[in-house]
Amino acid sequence: MRVFADSLAEMWSFASRRSRLSPDEATAELLLAKRRVGQHALASERTLELVLAAAAGPATERELAGEAAAVTAFLAALPEPERPRRGPRRVPALAVAFTLVALLALCGTAEAGALPAPLQQLAHQAINAPAPSPAIRVPQPSADVTPGPGATGSQSAPAGSGASQDSRAGNPSASPKPTHTNNGQSNGNSQPTASTTATATDSTTATAQPTKTDNGKGNGGTPGQGGKNGNGNGNSQG
Amino acid sequence: MLVGDFPEVLRRAAAGDASAFARLWRDTHPPLLRYLWVSAGDAAEDVAADVWLEVARRIGSFRGGEHEFRGWLFTMARRKMIDRHRYEARRPVSPTSDGELLDRPAADDTVTAALEYISTETALALIATLPRDQAEIIVLRVVVGLDAGAVAQIVGKSPGAVRVAAHRGLRTLRDRMADATVTSPGRGGVTL
Repeated sequence: MRVFADSLAEMWSFASRRSRLSPDEATAELLLAKRRVGQHALASERTLELVLAAAAGPATERELAGEAAAVTAFLAALPEPERPRRGPRRVPALAVAFTLVALLALCGTAEAGALPAPLQQLAHQAINAPAPSPAIRVPQPSADVTPGPGATGSQSAPAGSGASQDSRAGNPSASPKPTHTNNGQSNGNSQPTASTTATATDSTTATAQPTKTDNGKGNGGTPGQGGKNGNGNGNSQG
Repeated sequence: MLVGDFPEVLRRAAAGDASAFARLWRDTHPPLLRYLWVSAGDAAEDVAADVWLEVARRIGSFRGGEHEFRGWLFTMARRKMIDRHRYEARRPVSPTSDGELLDRPAADDTVTAALEYISTETALALIATLPRDQAEIIVLRVVVGLDAGAVAQIVGKSPGAVRVAAHRGLRTLRDRMADATVTSPGRGGVTL
């Protein structure tokens, strides 16, 4: 009987504790939604309501003490495009610098005579750069060009210099004897126009004609050089 | 909550307006700090500073309303808090003093203090005695004001699991306060 009474007391105690702590889902949801649980609620639930309300209370001074530092850090951490602009944009300055460099490079190339012919001609007119190489000009009809008296080749162009780019007209210094040589290629002329000219002079029939290929590249050597006319650079007469 | 002003405040803050950012900060920082204090303890202010730096960098790309903003902010905070925990786990600091332990009040003292005078800090300290997942869910729901769905997204659980954890945490708190209420006159027999 005593054992039964003890068991009954224990069950009663457990049931009492259970009822006191048993979760009330509706009350829990009220508490989570910060609503009042009402007068019918347990004292512990009303106390819990006060605790949760205090946890969600207004901001304290301590919590707001770091505002200035936070704003400073915010301004410092803003990505570049979102920062307030205080000066002119840098993009135009960069564009101007880039354009300047490009122009300088263009001028340098023009002075070196390395531009394509149309551009080189334009540079020649604009900034007095060297004229474009005649070798790459469009061939002109030579009907209006007559052989000059110096067709004997005695008026040789400066030896292998190839510098006289304007010597095309009126300088028919081609050899009277056809020479089948790569004229001007062996004269040490390192200008690119020399090879072009030499290609054009591989003609065996163009004797005594003021050919378009005669550009004074040193192919006007003395006649009688044994077919080696023009192989030298024209300064070996003697 | 900024409610109707939020879109304009957000737009200005994203454009670099310091006053708009300050308003956003004043509205959101206190609940953020409370959440982090419960979840990360003494590292709360450091983690909060990291969070706001991240906000400053990415606020221009944020799209959404105020609730979405809070969800975004607290998701960021939770990730940084987890990173912090991992970092501390890899490099445990040998305690040179008992200060950290003393900072976290014992549950019985907290309950008694809460019943005598409930301040915000005391209430948070009481909530912080719960298991961490329950504590952070209760703070996100009650302090931050998010619903179960939003909290579920932040903590990576289902809304049902969030409700269960919240109810369990509240039940535990209620249990402790009931016991403290009953035994508080003597204070000697408080067992929580």
